Amino acid sequence: MAGPRRVLTLIAGAALFVSACGGAASPSPSSGGAASAPASAGESTGASAPAASSGVPAGTKITVTSLWGGSEQEAFQKVLDAFKAKTGIEATYQAQRTDYATVLQNKIQGGNPPDVAIMPGLGFLRQFAASGGIKKISDLGIDTTALESNYPPGLLDPGKVNGELYGLMVKFNSKSTFWYAPSKVSTPPKTWDDLKSTLDSLGGQPLAVGAKDSWTLTDWFEEIYLRQNGADAYKKLFSKDGDWTDGTAAKAIQTMLEVVNDKYVTGGIKGALNTAFTDAIGQIYGKNAKSSLFYEGGFVGGIATGQINKDLKIPSDIDWFDFPSLGGAGDGAAEIGGDEIAALTTNPGVKEFIQFMTDPESGTTWAKTGAIISPIKAVGQDAYPNDLAKKEAAQVAGASAVVYDGSDTLPAGAPDMGAMLQKAIQGQDPTGLLKDFNDGVKSAWESES
Amino acid sequence: MSTDIVAAQAAPRTSDRTLSARIVRGLNKTPIHIALGVVALIWLAPTIGLLITSFRPREDIASSGWWEVLSTLRFTFDNYADVIGAQGMGRSFLNSIIISVPSTLLPLIVCSLAAYAFSWLRFRFRDTLFLIVVALMMVPVQMGFIPLVQMFAPFGLTRGFVAIWLAHTAFALPFGIFLLRNFFITLPRDLIEAARIDGASVFGTFRMIVVPLSVPAIAAYGIFQFLWVWNDLLMSLIFVQTNANYPMTIQVTTLLGTYGTEWNLLAAAAFLLMAVPLAVFFSLQRYFVQGLLAGSVK
Amino acid sequence: MTANPQPIQATPAPRGGGKLAVERDKPATLLLFLGPAVVLLLVFLVYPVIYTLRMSVDRGLGGNFSRFVGLDNYASLLRTPSFVHSIENNVLWIIFYVTFVIILGLIIAVIAMRVSYEAIIKAIVFLPMAIAATALGVIWAFVYAYDSNIGLLNALLAAINVGPIAWLGDSSIANSALIAVGVWGSTGFATVILSAALKGIPTEIIEAARTDGANEFQIFWRIILPMVSLPISVLAVTLIVNVIKLFDIPYVMTNGGPGDSTRVIAFELYKQDLSAGQYGKAAAVAVVMLVILIPVMIFNIRRFRSEAVV
Repeated sequence: MAGPRRVLTLIAGAALFVSACGGAASPSPSSGGAASAPASAGESTGASAPAASSGVPAGTKITVTSLWGGSEQEAFQKVLDAFKAKTGIEATYQAQRTDYATVLQNKIQGGNPPDVAIMPGLGFLRQFAASGGIKKISDLGIDTTALESNYPPGLLDPGKVNGELYGLMVKFNSKSTFWYAPSKVSTPPKTWDDLKSTLDSLGGQPLAVGAKDSWTLTDWFEEIYLRQNGADAYKKLFSKDGDWTDGTAAKAIQTMLEVVNDKYVTGGIKGALNTAFTDAIGQIYGKNAKSSLFYEGGFVGGIATGQINKDLKIPSDIDWFDFPSLGGAGDGAAEIGGDEIAALTTNPGVKEFIQFMTDPESGTTWAKTGAIISPIKAVGQDAYPNDLAKKEAAQVAGASAVVYDGSDTLPAGAPDMGAMLQKAIQGQDPTGLLKDFNDGVKSAWESES
Repeated sequence: MSTDIVAAQAAPRTSDRTLSARIVRGLNKTPIHIALGVVALIWLAPTIGLLITSFRPREDIASSGWWEVLSTLRFTFDNYADVIGAQGMGRSFLNSIIISVPSTLLPLIVCSLAAYAFSWLRFRFRDTLFLIVVALMMVPVQMGFIPLVQMFAPFGLTRGFVAIWLAHTAFALPFGIFLLRNFFITLPRDLIEAARIDGASVFGTFRMIVVPLSVPAIAAYGIFQFLWVWNDLLMSLIFVQTNANYPMTIQVTTLLGTYGTEWNLLAAAAFLLMAVPLAVFFSLQRYFVQGLLAGSVK
Repeated sequence: MTANPQPIQATPAPRGGGKLAVERDKPATLLLFLGPAVVLLLVFLVYPVIYTLRMSVDRGLGGNFSRFVGLDNYASLLRTPSFVHSIENNVLWIIFYVTFVIILGLIIAVIAMRVSYEAIIKAIVFLPMAIAATALGVIWAFVYAYDSNIGLLNALLAAINVGPIAWLGDSSIANSALIAVGVWGSTGFATVILSAALKGIPTEIIEAARTDGANEFQIFWRIILPMVSLPISVLAVTLIVNVIKLFDIPYVMTNGGPGDSTRVIAFELYKQDLSAGQYGKAAAVAVVMLVILIPVMIFNIRRFRSEAVV
């Protein structure tokens, strides 16, 4: 009997200890457990920081959440540091790598939302706007018409729900970038047929695909669909009126399977389904690179050089070419994946932060990290630190049409498009898959309205 | 089933008198030893592999399997240093403790009290009420997600640890009451009656007689509840809404997503998560097994 | 007996609480002992059940009762292929996980009984019970890894020039691969329970059968198996409950993929419905889980009425 009794005493003792320090747990220490200063210390530094021009009390703190980790998180932290230096307001970043929407939804329900969220999906933005989870930009006292002139025309439109501005695009990346290892691919392919012949001549499964992260497959599909059918058809497909069963989507999947197959993909299809997105970057740009080609958005450059392999030289070790043309209506178009910033509270500091994020200063700071392309007009080409990012900004600026990432615009309740494509690349009949998918998307649109 | 099943229990002492008899017996058992060797290997190898991997340098992990460790024989604490510091596992280790201890002690207290009432107090509808408690054992935690999160909202309970403490406590009750009540009713009635006749209060009887006599059961249940909470992922995903308060289970899944597959970090983090349960297992095996067996019907 | 349905038949003698000579206890006493439990149960279990039932027939926009929709949420679940698939996967789990855990547990218990190091074997097999499913997922991620420098299984296959096999990257085997992890994790539990049951069989019965000329095979099927059938049924029920609530293993190891090949009910609720803020649908899934568990609830109450502890 001595044994368990001793244990209980121990546990009781531990409980006293814990309740002693648990009581001090403050709501917003820094994320990820990085050693955070005690709340009091934070306040005192806030007091000595430059006084906020907007009259926000010194020591104000806000929380900002998004789903970046690794080098993308480090890049964004530089923006937050600049914000603190300018206003004295401390914005703490909370990374939500997994289940972004579920966790955010849940925090809103729990009355515990972050102050600001930067979200990747317009579907989420509409969902949260409809349920009252996020505030209108105008509710913060920000003049939305004045903002428009900071951006290229139409760029703020995706952030509007029923005509009201809820989200502002703070960064984007091109999704029309096809990455290659210049040492192995001497002439980058221009057309889809070039791509296939390049793959053939390289031999031995040279195409890295991180299909375990199913969103990489949706990007493949979107690029192909856009090029085959043009920007208008693309926008229609991802709207309420989209028809996934009219044959165009099936054709795009068939085209995708011409290269995303066991012959070309590193490790075969099943190997790719076991490979995460960042692991696929490792396959082409890591220390023991096996692959020569890899398709994903412009952010690959930052991750590859900042996290996977810091020895990479630009452009001799890493470079990209435009997604190959397919001879359709959308060959000159570009697809972008953008993130929208939205306010979940009207706490002091939130307005200042959102305003800061529309400012060329924040755009330039962020652009200098090479992780993103800034949508703010005043951020010039020279802000980008390397040729990869400069080229990316120029690609989007020079595109015949720019479309938004389609899978991000679908309603949040839609079936998982990536999961559908995971089935397709394993050989399931696209027509049947698309029929089910179409039904699910239709009912998700209906339940959104 | 070539050899008999019961002989192993009954026979050895009588038949192993001579050396040759023992050798013959040993030979007869060879297939059994081989089978059990395979079993031990299957159940040990994955965990040992994780342990070895967690101490290997990152480059070695990428270039050779842990089973080839003898050919490289390089070990490092870097993985642990990295996950504890930069990856926040140190902080979340503390969080796991802050979550688990009250979520174990609270149900222990509430369940003991209620179980005592259900076994030794007299009141109307006692058995009906107890049946309801047994029925509530099956309510899946998913039932509580939406209403409880909303209920906690006005008080901001999900911001700290109170929400997860309360949620764990409440969902532990039906089973805890059931288990402890089944133990309490086996206590000798004379003893309890005598105490009451001697003028001890109901609470006095509970504290001086029932609880001390039930330490093994309470300890077993406590261990089960502690491990249940320590190992829980789903409840924390819902009820812990401040990232800085995340327990280790969430932190490990975050590591899975953040850097692709950083095997070295993952191995070290997973082993840290296992450390406490393993320590409990090796130090308190008997109560531990009892606790888990008892808790398994939850 | 109806007034006092305590499990006295099984072990009669000095047991059976509640028969103290005292009359009814005072309300204040009851309040002290039962108050906390009753309040917590009402607030945290009974109310949520009622709430969730109501929410499951509501549109549930933004988590509020916005519009009564009858059984629409349930109908829409049936039309959702990933939900139907998650039910199918759960059924596969029930069949294979439960069967393999019990069979393996029984085999190990039977053969371990004949060696002196029985306790060690049981401890080794039982060890995974201590480990979080999250850690279990990581351990097995190493076993299943596609890269034969990391994945133990593919390294073994490479040694005989086969493979590699994408254990978690192939829709047709991923769910089975996860079930294997579950079996590995739970076999020790079955071993320990069944081992205790086997030791409870009186030796004389078996000796008697043997003298009557029964062979070992007959003894196992006719005597041993029937005598452990009750523990096995209890075990099976417990394992079924585990499976219906299963969440962590698919969440950690495959995130439900590839496609939706490893989604299970609890995962679907969390991933598909909560994330989209479809609280009505999420509530309907929770109700489906409860309904599946009702037979288990009835089984448990019957068991409780007939005997005390397992």
